[in-house]
This record gives sequence, structure tokens and C-alpha cells, in this order.
Amino acid sequence: MKHARILWTAIVLFLSAAAIAQAKAAAPAASPTPPPPPTIKGEIDREVSTLEREFVGAAEAMPEDKYDFAPTGLNLSGSEFKGVRTFAEQVKHVAMTNFQLWGPITGDKSPFDAKGDNGPESLKTKAEIVKYLKDSFAVGHKAAQSVTADNMLTSYPNPFGGRNPMTRLFMVTFAVEHAFDHYGQMVEYLRMNGIVPPASRGQ
Amino acid sequence: MKHVRAFCLVMVLAFAISAFGQAGAPAKPAAPAASPAPPQAQSAPPPIDSFSALVDRQVSQYEKNVVEAADAMPAEKFDFTPASLNIPGSSYKDVRTFAQLVKHTATANYRYWTTLTGEKMPENIKGPNGPDELKTKAEIMQFLKDSFAVGHRAAKTVTPQNALELLPFFRGNSPRLLIASGAVIHAADEYGQMVEYLRMNGIVPPASRPQQ
Repeated sequence: MKHARILWTAIVLFLSAAAIAQAKAAAPAASPTPPPPPTIKGEIDREVSTLEREFVGAAEAMPEDKYDFAPTGLNLSGSEFKGVRTFAEQVKHVAMTNFQLWGPITGDKSPFDAKGDNGPESLKTKAEIVKYLKDSFAVGHKAAQSVTADNMLTSYPNPFGGRNPMTRLFMVTFAVEHAFDHYGQMVEYLRMNGIVPPASRGQ
Repeated sequence: MKHVRAFCLVMVLAFAISAFGQAGAPAKPAAPAASPAPPQAQSAPPPIDSFSALVDRQVSQYEKNVVEAADAMPAEKFDFTPASLNIPGSSYKDVRTFAQLVKHTATANYRYWTTLTGEKMPENIKGPNGPDELKTKAEIMQFLKDSFAVGHRAAKTVTPQNALELLPFFRGNSPRLLIASGAVIHAADEYGQMVEYLRMNGIVPPASRPQQ
């Protein structure tokens, strides 16, 4: 009786295992979960993320004691750098513009005031400036995530004081283009100081 | 509504870039539009009545910036690279010449935008710096302008309905919208570098000059 029960248990286990194996063999090969279909907000947020990675990387790559660097200081023969921004002003200007373009969409405002378009004068240290920059990108992600096919052409009052409104899609994407324009300039500032931009290393 | 939106796009792009594009000298508070020319004084552009028109405006703006910057560099300076300045402590090994920046930008334009139009890449493009045989400023400028012509055709293909359509691009797939705008974003990056190359040679970028 004991032997019969053991045999019966063994048979049941064997058949169960065989059935499971068969079921697995019959099932389609397990494949990785396909990526979710793209969305407008997701794709725009990817652009913001790419910019954030490169721009913040460049800002962090400049040593603090070079934050007041401007090419004017090199006195390059035949050059024309009169009145150009310092490295710190480039970063603050972009962060401030990010707030101006993304903030109206999310309801966020720059935590600091500025008299001109070079960003808040009260921010002096690298740590303060980089934090301001990062905070602006946090608003950028919120703004990007708000864009839908239905609202992307919704207009907002001109954040720069003009009387002509802007569309949500334009405000979000123009901030990226604008920042990359300045990123290209910061790349040169870094190289002038012997620093290869992080995004260009290893190429 | 359509008029003001179109108007806004063009003017803000133009003014913002001109003010932002390394002018350095601050404009009025919260007014990147450094140009004294009041927007209202200009003739209104065609209305933005479609998604593709909005994309096309963005192509147009960086076409203006990049083409004008390239054109501002004298022909004899097209082979300039900052490495030649021997700035003490700098790191300019193997960076692109001005001509290569321009050809690279145009090459990327073709890469992005022919994906949308279905046109063939020019056969003489062999690498990221474009055709080696293009040497003169005139040849390079034509190559650049032709690449933006593809951009305008590409913009016209983008609609709200197909904006998320995945197309084969480089090693994967990308949505049509991202491919269209990616070229503009890339051109903005390269433009920022051209600005510095111009200033190293004593040339204020056209977009940063005081408006007439």
C-alpha cells in the first residue's frame, strides 16, 4: 500500500511535470515586453532629457573658479568678444529662459528675480547656479508631460512681454532649441579652458 | 488667432535667437527680443494653420541662423579651427574646422530629413563631415542650402496623425516628430559653435548684430 501510494505520487508528479513542459513548449517563445507606443509627451520629454543630460553635464564640468570666464579675457588677437556672456551668465540665462518658457505651462515661476536676461544676479556660486539650472529642468519635464495632441496648439500669453501669444508645443520645444544653441557656445568655453565637454569624451 | 500665433513664432524665434545667440549684452529685462524693430511693423507671415507649418517655421529659423553664419565667414577662413590659435591650456585636438561644422550640419540635416521625405541621401556623403570633395565656400554653401530645402519638404510631411509614426532611423526607430525636430536641435548646437568660431575671427554673428 505504501509502495503503491509512492508510485502513484511519482506518476502524478511525472505527468504534471510533463504537462507543464508541454505547455511551455507549445506556448510562443517568451519575448521581451515590447516598448509602449510613443506619445507626444513622451517624445518631447525625451528631448528635454537629452538636453538636460548634456547641458547640466557641461555646467558641472566647468570648475567653479572658471564660472566667470568669458572669451574676452583671452585677448585673442583679432577677435570680437565684447559684451559676451560669462560662463555663469550662459547657464543662468538658459535656466531663466527655461522658466520663462516652461513655467507658464506648469504654473511654476522662477524662484529668483532678474533685472536682465542674464539670469538672477543673486546667484553667485556654482552650486547655486547649477541648482537653479536643475530646478528649471524639473519644470521642463512637467511641461513636456503636459503636452497632448489636443492641447499642443493651445496659446499662452507671450512670456517675454510681447503681445503675441505662443503655443504650448512651441514653448516646450523652443526652449530645447534655445538651450542647445547656448550649449554649443558653452562647449567652446569649456575647450578654451582645456576641458573636453562630457558629451564629447570618448568620441 | 492664427495670425498672431504665426507672427509670434517667427518674431520670437528671430528675436530670441538674435538676442540669445551670444550677444551677451543683456537686452531689456525679460525681453530676449533685442531687436528694436517692433513686430507689428513687419508684414504678417502666412498663418500657422497646421502642425507641419509650425515645424516648418522652426526649420526656417535655424536655416536663417546657420546659413547667415556660414555666409558671414570669409572664404579664406573656412578651414579655420580654434586649434590654430594655440590658446594656452585649451583642448581643441581634432575639433572640426568651420567648413566641417557647416558640412556636418548639412549632412545631419540630410540624414534626419530624407528619412521623412523618402529621398536618397546624396551619394557623395561618406561620413559625418560630409563630402570631402566640397572645398570652396560656394560649394559648401550650396550643399547647406540644399539640405534645408529637404527640411522644408520634410516638415510638410508631419501631421498630428503621423507625428508618432515610427520610422527606421540610425540603429532603431524614431517618431516622425522627433526626427523632424531633431535636426533643428542639432543645428542649434552646431550654430552655437559657429558663433564662437566667427567671434574668434573678429566677426559678430549676423543674428547678434544690432538690428537696423
